Amino acid sequence: MTGASHDEIMAEAERIQALGEASESRAPYPVNQPTIGAWLDAMGYDNDRFRTGEAPPSMAQVWTMPGLGRKRPPEDPLSRMTEFLTEAGYTAVLGTNCEQSYERYLRVGEELRVTSALDSVVGPKRTAMGEGYFVTSRNTWYVDHPDGRREAVATMLFRVLKFVPKETP
Amino acid sequence: MRTLTPGEQLPEWSLPMTPTTIVSTAIATRDWQDVHHDRDVAQAAGSKDIFLNILTSNGLVERYVVDWLGHDAELKGIAIRLGAPAHPYDTLTFRGTVESVQDGVATIAVVGSVSLGDHVTGTVRVSAPVIEERTE
Repeated sequence: MTGASHDEIMAEAERIQALGEASESRAPYPVNQPTIGAWLDAMGYDNDRFRTGEAPPSMAQVWTMPGLGRKRPPEDPLSRMTEFLTEAGYTAVLGTNCEQSYERYLRVGEELRVTSALDSVVGPKRTAMGEGYFVTSRNTWYVDHPDGRREAVATMLFRVLKFVPKETP
Repeated sequence: MRTLTPGEQLPEWSLPMTPTTIVSTAIATRDWQDVHHDRDVAQAAGSKDIFLNILTSNGLVERYVVDWLGHDAELKGIAIRLGAPAHPYDTLTFRGTVESVQDGVATIAVVGSVSLGDHVTGTVRVSAPVIEERTE
């Protein structure tokens, strides 16, 4: 393996963590019924609430997905940390945990913004996949109100394993 | 309105995984990563086939719990650990148990498994008014 040492990896993690909610992106479209309808159809799910103005809570992340051909902001803390680990030789990635909390259900017409921060970096750990670091990011979704209030409506802790893949026989 | 008791089990729910399931849910969750819709790319990356995306694992967990609880259920959170991938022609089977009911919040443990093992393991927190603690 080439690249950064454990100390350098942890120093980079600390540096990025200290930046806090270092990047944000706006949902390209407001919470809207056609997107909710397509989601319900694909999930094979029907629920009157979601045909009459409310959005399914687990769709929070859907609204701020970048979209085809678009990238996350370059300053995104999770991207910066995972790119650093890729350079250090931990080339493979695997999502391991996703923990979402909902303050309330969103409503059609609301415009969302999401911020991203680096929560923690833990490792190196030996796993069944290979040796690697667990990188956890924290997303917070906000609705901005006309009176200036920034309402946090949902949060997500998302953990990936960045690892050196085991040699395949 | 459903009354919840710790230990109570949710009925099992099985969902056949087809290419359409995996592709349509990936696109409906606005996730255009190629490994969720392009088998050649998925196989070149070392996967057996395309596989279900994480936003859909969350969505199906939401559906499983709310379809059972009733549509007036208010979800407070979904925490999942990700395991074996869900590929086309496999079956994703959900099982669940009411873990606890406390201060108007129920925690429901959910496992969704495929032939390779557990695809998703986690908990869903749900709040009143759907929950009434059973006092007998």
